[in-house]
Amino acid sequence: MFLQQLVNGLTIGGIYAMIAVGYTMIYGVIQLINFAHGEIYMLGAFFAFTFISFLGLPFYAAFLLSMACCAVCGMLLDIFAYRPLRQSPRLAALITAIGMSIFLQNLAMVIWGSRPKPFPQGALPAYFEETAVTFSGVSLSWFHLFIFAITLMMMIGLNLIIQKTRWGKAMRAVAQNKTMAALTGINVNRVISYTFALAGSLGGAAGIMVGAYYNSLYPTMGYIAGVKAFAAAVLGGIGSVPGAMLGGVVLGVAEALGAGYLSSLYRDGISYAVMIIVIILIPAGLFGKLIKETKKSM
Amino acid sequence: MGKLNLPKLSRGNKVRTGVLVLALMLPFLPFVTDYILHIVIIVYLYMLLALGLNIVPGFNGLLDLGYVGFYGIGAYTSGLLTVHFGLSYWLIIPLAFINGAIWGILLGAPTLRLTGDYFAIVTFGFSELVVLFLTNEIWLTRGPLGLPGIEPVSLDLSLFGGPKWEFVGELPYYYLAIVMVAVTVFVMHRIQDSRLGRAWFAIRDDEVAAVSCGISLLTYKVIAFAISAAFGAVGGSFFARWVTFLSPDMFKFWESFLILCMIVLGGMGNIWGVMIGAWYWFL
Repeated sequence: MFLQQLVNGLTIGGIYAMIAVGYTMIYGVIQLINFAHGEIYMLGAFFAFTFISFLGLPFYAAFLLSMACCAVCGMLLDIFAYRPLRQSPRLAALITAIGMSIFLQNLAMVIWGSRPKPFPQGALPAYFEETAVTFSGVSLSWFHLFIFAITLMMMIGLNLIIQKTRWGKAMRAVAQNKTMAALTGINVNRVISYTFALAGSLGGAAGIMVGAYYNSLYPTMGYIAGVKAFAAAVLGGIGSVPGAMLGGVVLGVAEALGAGYLSSLYRDGISYAVMIIVIILIPAGLFGKLIKETKKSM
Repeated sequence: MGKLNLPKLSRGNKVRTGVLVLALMLPFLPFVTDYILHIVIIVYLYMLLALGLNIVPGFNGLLDLGYVGFYGIGAYTSGLLTVHFGLSYWLIIPLAFINGAIWGILLGAPTLRLTGDYFAIVTFGFSELVVLFLTNEIWLTRGPLGLPGIEPVSLDLSLFGGPKWEFVGELPYYYLAIVMVAVTVFVMHRIQDSRLGRAWFAIRDDEVAAVSCGISLLTYKVIAFAISAAFGAVGGSFFARWVTFLSPDMFKFWESFLILCMIVLGGMGNIWGVMIGAWYWFL
């Protein structure tokens, strides 16, 4: 029982971590809580659904293609919604983010309908259902392993991008000081768009995996996942990428154990409670440094 | 803030009186149906809520994303007290006010040390927790089934030898809403020009300068948050007795966002602007 819950928690926690990283990267770069990020995650699941059901693509191809589509969506979101507001008060951008979240939700309802849809199970590789490992009564399917592997790969890949590439260096520079970064010849707007693309592709991948794992897609799925991932980002210290990864996993495990042992009704409440307690006790989170507000938030 | 420009003030007062007369006459205009009245009552309700919320972002410069939590608390306070104890609405208004203020202090005291986004997130989490509580504590709130059968408002004058007057239809509620909005506007104006309001504006404009003038940041912010919460709860109490049915779905995060939009549209910190912003709902 305990181990099974732990495995479930780790699985879902890895997925939260992938979404949380997106929040934290965007917050790090432009100090904006991108409420629409959860909707990118939802779009990822629906893109994969469309590619598999209507274009008949195999699962892996659909996976990569919808990640690319989500990256494009993230960039479009930045270019159309946030770029014109770069110099305006923070509140304006925040309200825009919430507005975009509502807009994308409704757009998805218009395109795909508001009823929950099953994920096209036939497209999943057959061995996903088979048990891969069994230890002390806990069985792990290949699908669990697939999620673990993808999560791990993406986290490592992301760290490499941020730490080793020129692009990652530019991102870190923009996060520290936009004016200074621009003076050294970095195209700040383009770096921000790329950040949105990277965050979007990770969020989209998370959406596909959740859609396939729980076998249900619906246009409002992004809201609750977004909130929880955001809680994870806060837990890890917003603005810190390793913090978001750890925060996601911790939150996933806490939620699975809490739902298993305390009350499954308050499953969602656990993330909110964790979020509030963390903010009150250690606002900087596990890894972050407290961001002093340079601009006034209003 | 001191408006000493007398001729201008009196013109403003003329406009205000005109608007008030128009509002009082509205139900008797020929084209006004019950439906329109219903919508206008909602607008007045949102006016009340927006005026309450305005204190926190508008007067204090703090972003509050969880206002609807207090609205929900007020609505359920009113609904439950009516269903279980049959209290009169005139008794419930102060109780809802006090309950809202208590929750405002409970949430505000530990969290108002935070600034900007962090505070916004905490309030957001709080309102979501309120919705979860209302949904899950079925023994108290009947959860997602909702709380039906809340008695409508009635005015019992039997103590003074008068009749008991039940509020039927939209008309009495329309005037009740006008009275509540008018009282709120009056209170807001008095607060705005008082020591308290000036301290808030000082905090909004420059915290460091405010502290060096001897303003205790936390105390004043908690007072602001509590008053804002209390007005939210009063709005909720009216809502409960007016629609006579409550369900946790009515207090989702989007409501907070809507009210915030009204404030931003009308101009933050400006009482009349906020009231005009409430008509945004009408569109």
